[in-house]
Amino acid sequence: MFPAVVLTVFLVYPLIRLASIAVSSQTLTALSSSTLWKVVLLASGQAALSVVLSLAIGIPIARVLFNYQFPGRGFMLALVTVPFVLPTVVVALGFRSLFGSSISNGLLLVVLAHAYINIAVVVRLVGAQWATLDRRMELTAATLGATPFHVFRTVTLPALRNSIVVAASVVFIFSFSSLGIVVVLGDGSTTRTLEQVLLRSTSVLLDFPTALAAATLQLLVVSLVFIVSARINRREPRAKVTLEREKIGTHKTAVAVGATVLIGAALVLAPIASILWASVTSANGLTTGWWAGLWSTENARIGSPVGALGRSLALALGTSVIAAILGGAIAIAVMSKRGIVATLALIPLGVSAVTLGLGILLAFSRGPLDLRGTGVLIPITHALIAVPIVVAVATPSLRNVDPRRYFVALSLGAAPMRAWWSAFGTVFGGVMLAAGGLAAAVSLGEFGAASLLSRTDSPTVPVQIERLLSKPGESSFATAAVLSVILVILTMTLLAVVDRISMRKVPT
Amino acid sequence: MTESILRARDLVIGYETPLTQALNFHVGPGEILVVLGESGCGKSTLLSTLSGITQPISGEILLGEKCLSGVPIHRRDIGLVFQDPLLFPHLSLLDNIGYSLRARGKTKKEARERAAELLEWVGLSDVTGNKTWELSGGQAGRVALARAIAANPAVLLLDEPYSALDKTTRLRLLTDVKDLITGAGIPTIHVTHDSGEAELLATRTLTW
Amino acid sequence: MFRFIAVTMCGALALTACSSTPETGSSAATGSNASTSNEVETVRMITHESFVLSPSFVEDLRAQGVDLQITSTGDAGTLTASAILSAGQPTADVLFGIDNTLALRATEEGVFQTYESPELANVLPEFADDTQGGRLTPIDFGDVCINIDDTWFAQQGLTAPTTLDELPEFANRLVVEDPATSSPGLAFLLATVARFGTDWPSYWEALRDGGVAVAGSWTDAYYSQFTPSGGDRPLVVSYATSPAAEIVFAEDSSVSTPSTSVMTDSCFRQVEYAGILNGAENLDGAQKVIDALLSRSVQEDIPLNMFVYPVRADAILPSVFTEFTPIITGSASLPAEQVKDQLASLLSTWGAVMNR
Repeated sequence: MFPAVVLTVFLVYPLIRLASIAVSSQTLTALSSSTLWKVVLLASGQAALSVVLSLAIGIPIARVLFNYQFPGRGFMLALVTVPFVLPTVVVALGFRSLFGSSISNGLLLVVLAHAYINIAVVVRLVGAQWATLDRRMELTAATLGATPFHVFRTVTLPALRNSIVVAASVVFIFSFSSLGIVVVLGDGSTTRTLEQVLLRSTSVLLDFPTALAAATLQLLVVSLVFIVSARINRREPRAKVTLEREKIGTHKTAVAVGATVLIGAALVLAPIASILWASVTSANGLTTGWWAGLWSTENARIGSPVGALGRSLALALGTSVIAAILGGAIAIAVMSKRGIVATLALIPLGVSAVTLGLGILLAFSRGPLDLRGTGVLIPITHALIAVPIVVAVATPSLRNVDPRRYFVALSLGAAPMRAWWSAFGTVFGGVMLAAGGLAAAVSLGEFGAASLLSRTDSPTVPVQIERLLSKPGESSFATAAVLSVILVILTMTLLAVVDRISMRKVPT
Repeated sequence: MTESILRARDLVIGYETPLTQALNFHVGPGEILVVLGESGCGKSTLLSTLSGITQPISGEILLGEKCLSGVPIHRRDIGLVFQDPLLFPHLSLLDNIGYSLRARGKTKKEARERAAELLEWVGLSDVTGNKTWELSGGQAGRVALARAIAANPAVLLLDEPYSALDKTTRLRLLTDVKDLITGAGIPTIHVTHDSGEAELLATRTLTW
Repeated sequence: MFRFIAVTMCGALALTACSSTPETGSSAATGSNASTSNEVETVRMITHESFVLSPSFVEDLRAQGVDLQITSTGDAGTLTASAILSAGQPTADVLFGIDNTLALRATEEGVFQTYESPELANVLPEFADDTQGGRLTPIDFGDVCINIDDTWFAQQGLTAPTTLDELPEFANRLVVEDPATSSPGLAFLLATVARFGTDWPSYWEALRDGGVAVAGSWTDAYYSQFTPSGGDRPLVVSYATSPAAEIVFAEDSSVSTPSTSVMTDSCFRQVEYAGILNGAENLDGAQKVIDALLSRSVQEDIPLNMFVYPVRADAILPSVFTEFTPIITGSASLPAEQVKDQLASLLSTWGAVMNR
């Protein structure tokens, strides 16, 4: 009941209102334009390639991080999640400075960037399921004479199929509806997305019928992907337990694990390294001036960076709480088979943050629902954006809890609420914490909606970074670089802490 | 597969510290060697060392004339059945049993034919169409055994199989299993903590 | 359990609400009555994300009884779009930051109401009538021009191009922005349309064949591909004030001459306007804000904050502007009607020519 109400008021209503303002007789014509459908094809192809590359990189890393225990594991898990939550403009810039002119704008660069950003999706989703796989099944297959590769192909991959399908769908959707990466690293012809068409129609051509048509088409494609992946996903027996991670036994394993970790870390750090470099260099060589200058009043011109940091953190906290509660309520609804709620919750995945922000801006700026001065519009928008991720992460874990515990508690005389909590509480709590942490990280790096709803004197860090990068001048760029590095460190710390706490709560 | 006697020579098992003194034993065709001991004393570790999952601290394992140190699991030709049946949930019963044949390059048809034979052999042809999770504990256990036997291993290792079942079912199952195995003649090492079971099955016993 | 949830949610919302500047005063009464000198009325302004002014702007308004709340709504295009979508039921009282390429469209959609600020008497002659029938008030202007990396050209011993006609020879040293996703990119396209008329596609064909690079955004063009940032293109479409910004934002004050300069022949004029939204709640306050934007103190505050020029005739420019960035005369412009009518077809023709 509760999540349905929240979602209807803050998600469905603003979007419908926006659509009703923008709709006109020309919308239908726009929908049948062949250009739009051509873009759908192009974007689908690009998204498919992005999926393949993300899986290829993410699966080995998932294996290493979720099946083995080694020092630095938590750090590495946080590290691979950073690309996902960095503002896309930072990622794009990092890629550009990394590759310079060696790879020109176009499909290859865009696919690389998309895979980079989405490694975390694959690692976390597939890894979480991998951790529940009984290793003895693979060992049994080996005793039956199967080579390691054969085991992987015939036992491991099929067992992971559900999480791979979900991860692939999410990566597909993100890549399909990508904007920032495509604008900066794309070539304008092979890398077009509906989101780009939407942006162009809205803010350049003021052609709202086409914008609405593009948004509708995008939502349709995203829904289709979800329906298909739900169909493909098998009904499977519940995984009994999340197993302990192995210590590294043999020398061979240590080498394999070490190599994967090092390569993975190098891949993640490379684009960030160039930004880090920019934050400590100037025309005169190495300098700490940019970092020291964070506190100086000179920068008051663009709003104090320290102030922006504080604001981003408070916002992230608010978002994580809202997202965790909302996401948890939705996950429960999903478990109780109330699918409509889950479907509503996933809408933000198919609607851009800008569209959502615009809808919320217009819906809550006047009359009885005037929320402008309250400061809740951004955290709510961010929570809505983060909720699909929360739900995706939480639902599998919740599904794996043995419901018999609940009945046991009931039979022991506990009231239903209490029985539920004693049966699911620990897992739930751990999962909510992890999901909330992820949502906070998303909020820290979110730009689109924040740029629409911020007060100019109180921007978030990504908005601040974007503003700096829109100005010429050495210090603008360098300060943006400093803020980006800070964002990376903040995000990593947040994720590492949350991961550690939630891992402890895993039941055995 | 003919002259298959599994020998352990001064075998010391364990992870960092030895779990037992040096072991010396052997098992040959037609024999069921039961390893009897309390939980946690290293019985499972013995099996995982023999099958290649874990490395021994010192000593040798020989299969016939061949020394097995350094040989990876999938080339040891040693079957292993765990306490849980661990059937592959995404495969049918026939494909589960026939897994080893497919792994060795046989065609789907050949694998399925042999699997059907073995399913019959363990008395479960009437549930051929069931999914793995639709079987009872005892049924799943039989399928797991059939799967291991389909690989035609030189030696079979059983790690407290069926210990999750109730006593009556377990004993009945074990009697059947004993008949099946001795009928097939495969040297078998069976691990258990239950002395009644040991008496029932063993041609010889090993304790420490 | 639910109590716990409700309490936590309220707590979270309260925390985030506190993190943004709290609102003082109450919502203003509708209508246009003047407030008493002790009352503070709230006025809301929406603008784009590049808006910056010194705190004195808001402070001086407060002294006049206006509590100004400024929200930024994406870039100028998104700002305009959101204003059009909410025409008649606006999300604010004043809008600042709509530019000449989109202004006509917005006024035709009834976004603004008329107001003639008394301060208009003090603006440069060319802007006095630039008000779309009184619905918009010009506040600042600037030029989008080709920027040249003089250091690079000196090092190569080459002479930089000085006119648009010379540019195609250097096409493989030029980076432009996609007009569909970048405002300076669009401005440059319009500059070529103004110069070459219906022949403009052939000019772009020459650029294309000469190897011009197209960047998706100004940020990418300037910070990745422009040679001072480590790229390989010493010519970029940017702002006339970029060289001045180079000095202002340099790390140390020892840098006294910019290493870049402007090709004055390539410039396109951009004008920024403010307007009172149709249906504004606080008309009186909104008028005060517009007057303030045209006041001398604010107009003189604009250059070093937003790197554009004030429209006011008696505003004194900062020295870094007068030394390194002369006001460009003769920069190109196009009639608003033409831009509005042709924008879509211009973009699609450009896309076809450039294979994008």
